[in-house]
Amino acid sequence: MRGTARTVAVAAMSAIALLAAGCGSGDSGGDQSSAAGGKTGGEITVRGCNPQNPLVPSNTTETCGGNVIDAIFSKLVHYDPETAKPENDIAESIDTTDNQNFTVKIKKGRKFHDGTEIKAKNFVDAWNYAAYAPNGQSSGYFMEPIEGYGDMQCTGEGDDPCAGAGNAKAKELTGLKVVDDYTFTIKTTEKVSNLPVRLGYSAFSPLPDMFFKDPKSFGDKPIGSGPYKLDAWNKEQSIVLSKFADYNGDFGGKVDKITFKIYQESDAAYNDVIANNLDITDEIPTSALIDDKYKSDLPDRNAQKETGVIQTITFAPTKVDPNYADPKIRQAISMAIDRDTIIKQIFNNTRVPATGWVSPVVDGYKADQCGEYCKYDPAKAKALLQEAGGFKGSKITLSYNADAAHKDWTEATCNSIKQALGVDCVATGVVDFATFRSQIADRKMKGMFRTGWQMDYPSIENFLAPIYKTGASSNDGDYSNPEFDKLLVQAAAATDEAEANKLYQQAEALLAQDMPAIPMWYGKTTMGWSDKVTGVKITAFGTIDFTSVSLK
Amino acid sequence: MGTYILRRLLQMIPVILGATFLIFAMVFALPGDPLAGKCGERPCSAAYRAAFTEKYNLNDPLLVQYGKYVGKLATGDFGETYNQIKVSDQLKQRYPVTAKLALMAILFETLIGIVAGVLTGVRRGGFLDNLVLVSTLVVISIPVFVIGGLAQYFLGVKWGLFPVTVTSGEATVYQLLLPAMVLGSLSVAYVARLTRTNLVENLRSDYVRTAISKGLTKRRAIGLHALRNSLIPVVTFIGFDFGALLGGAIVTESIFNIPGIGGYIFRSIRSRDGASVVGAVTVLVIVYLVVNLIVDLLYGLLDPRISHD
Repeated sequence: MRGTARTVAVAAMSAIALLAAGCGSGDSGGDQSSAAGGKTGGEITVRGCNPQNPLVPSNTTETCGGNVIDAIFSKLVHYDPETAKPENDIAESIDTTDNQNFTVKIKKGRKFHDGTEIKAKNFVDAWNYAAYAPNGQSSGYFMEPIEGYGDMQCTGEGDDPCAGAGNAKAKELTGLKVVDDYTFTIKTTEKVSNLPVRLGYSAFSPLPDMFFKDPKSFGDKPIGSGPYKLDAWNKEQSIVLSKFADYNGDFGGKVDKITFKIYQESDAAYNDVIANNLDITDEIPTSALIDDKYKSDLPDRNAQKETGVIQTITFAPTKVDPNYADPKIRQAISMAIDRDTIIKQIFNNTRVPATGWVSPVVDGYKADQCGEYCKYDPAKAKALLQEAGGFKGSKITLSYNADAAHKDWTEATCNSIKQALGVDCVATGVVDFATFRSQIADRKMKGMFRTGWQMDYPSIENFLAPIYKTGASSNDGDYSNPEFDKLLVQAAAATDEAEANKLYQQAEALLAQDMPAIPMWYGKTTMGWSDKVTGVKITAFGTIDFTSVSLK
Repeated sequence: MGTYILRRLLQMIPVILGATFLIFAMVFALPGDPLAGKCGERPCSAAYRAAFTEKYNLNDPLLVQYGKYVGKLATGDFGETYNQIKVSDQLKQRYPVTAKLALMAILFETLIGIVAGVLTGVRRGGFLDNLVLVSTLVVISIPVFVIGGLAQYFLGVKWGLFPVTVTSGEATVYQLLLPAMVLGSLSVAYVARLTRTNLVENLRSDYVRTAISKGLTKRRAIGLHALRNSLIPVVTFIGFDFGALLGGAIVTESIFNIPGIGGYIFRSIRSRDGASVVGAVTVLVIVYLVVNLIVDLLYGLLDPRISHD
């Protein structure tokens, strides 16, 4: 059996778990009293992990910190947990006539946890801080559409691009103007029809005045504006939130107190949930996913939902590797991949086979955009390859970063390709993510390589423009199709949402012809909870919906 | 004796300095990206990367980085982890938990191990001897994560006798009982076998025969003479084991989610977090050295022929 030390350990662990489960399956049945509703008040514990950065919204893009940030910060808009549709939260209205000049009016009387009122300048200041490159905020790039972003970036070379002459020219976004305490305007560089949808991302949270006095200590004990406030952050152990008494928004929670207990391993958290020592875990360990063991461990206390994550395989740009230039070869490779079997064998059904380039959770999703090219059909695949004159190179390569769990599925994918097409295919590990990404960024990586995308905001645009538009930041395969770009521009200018979505869908359909990347599968999140809580829902982002969870 | 201790203490200084540099250099040489995972599933933005690299001096050559680190260390500043948490705070929180766990495990292995060793050594070949021999063989051949996983599932999850996980910095003795037994289980087997073998050998030796023939009770001959001599290798093992348990309880700590030092070192190595690794290991090296000194001094107590003057 091949595998890293870690996978062997995991396999052994799951073997024990299975063994242990076999020994005692006495308690079946179980009582299901209150299915919905539940009472308000009380406290719950949920699995947490270590935030990678201080808890500042504009500097948190990973989930450990993001889960906490989401609960303690309100944004202009709030995403519906079920449909991911944006609805106004702090915003009273966001108006535009041309998709380029937006007027944002905010509700009066909304407060930060320190009692100060949320005003227009709290947004403008926070966004300026995020966009100003010398502040080194990880989600500063979200401000990119706003006019003046370019002048706030550093242009220097080498170790510190912000040193000396390379320093950012401006400290403020010219596109943001405070009109009065409750109104500000946004001007974007280009037309952006879905700007209001983007504003629900945590990077767009307002920050209180005291943040700018001392950002460092703020990150330790953030003062937010959400339904919950942070009481204590016991580093590497727990994060305690309690209900904010003066919260007057529409998205308050039911429980009084939420404690994130920090776990290093999902196995430990999972066992605590079974023993009712922990109320919710948002990660089910591999050992419990095998044969859906978690469903018998936690009967009626588990849920699974698709999230806005897609795994793709991108082809190196044609000038780097001409062997894959013909779209027919790309389509043939895509048709040679048996997604269903790989998902079943390797991911225990925790992925959903992709039928297009856009996640099903977002507004504007259209099924089957990839059509027959994403369906496993070895005979057709081989015929298509022959039609294209066969594969010219010696072998197909599929590169992945070896510091995460990608070895198994890339090898399985290669096997599938090899068997269907009769061309040798090798999965090649690159030592770590940084090296892997820099090889791709420097356009030195040949063949195919894995790429993934986690949505920033629930919009079809987020799965297309940043990845496949000519010259876009994550366009690793240098895909360029003038028709595609034109449709994106038209969609961004469309004032009608349905019209915009339709144009985006037309653009996505072009991807099936050119196949710049092979859609593999969409992500899923699985959760389990104790018998003390009810109303646990998974949001489209794969997080716990704290507005609905309550004690029984 | 006094000069001996002083000399040993002075010897520790170069050892500690050398160890910190070696560890620092090794962490430096590790492949991997300190920024991996800092920004979720995607590469970090250039602005973030620049600020991060600058803050942690990642662009400096090894010696400059080490110099900056030791300079700070001399003022008592252990630095910050890549999560911007003070390393000294973490060490202060984590070492007591791990020390408590390791001490309980040591206590467990010493008590059970020596008693089992003596009982089997005295009645060699009996039923108890065979039972202990077989059961220790079983314990030695099963990896800790299996013992830990099973103990957690049955004693914790299934029957609710023990807490499933610890998850708290102020762990009680009761919370740590199960992890300590799991952690000490392997060493129990070693201690029992070590005691037994040595005791059996010593019981055959001349001085024990002399003691018995001169009229000493068997109990006194074994307890006072044979056992004391037999314990020298056992004490050496336990001393070494204490250090190993402090830093090596990674598996047990992760199964029971104990916020201890083993998992911390492991995680820090994986994220190439130099400040954390060196800080934690430096303390570990000091503990090792002190325990070794204590073990050496104990030899003198157990065997009067060994003298440190």
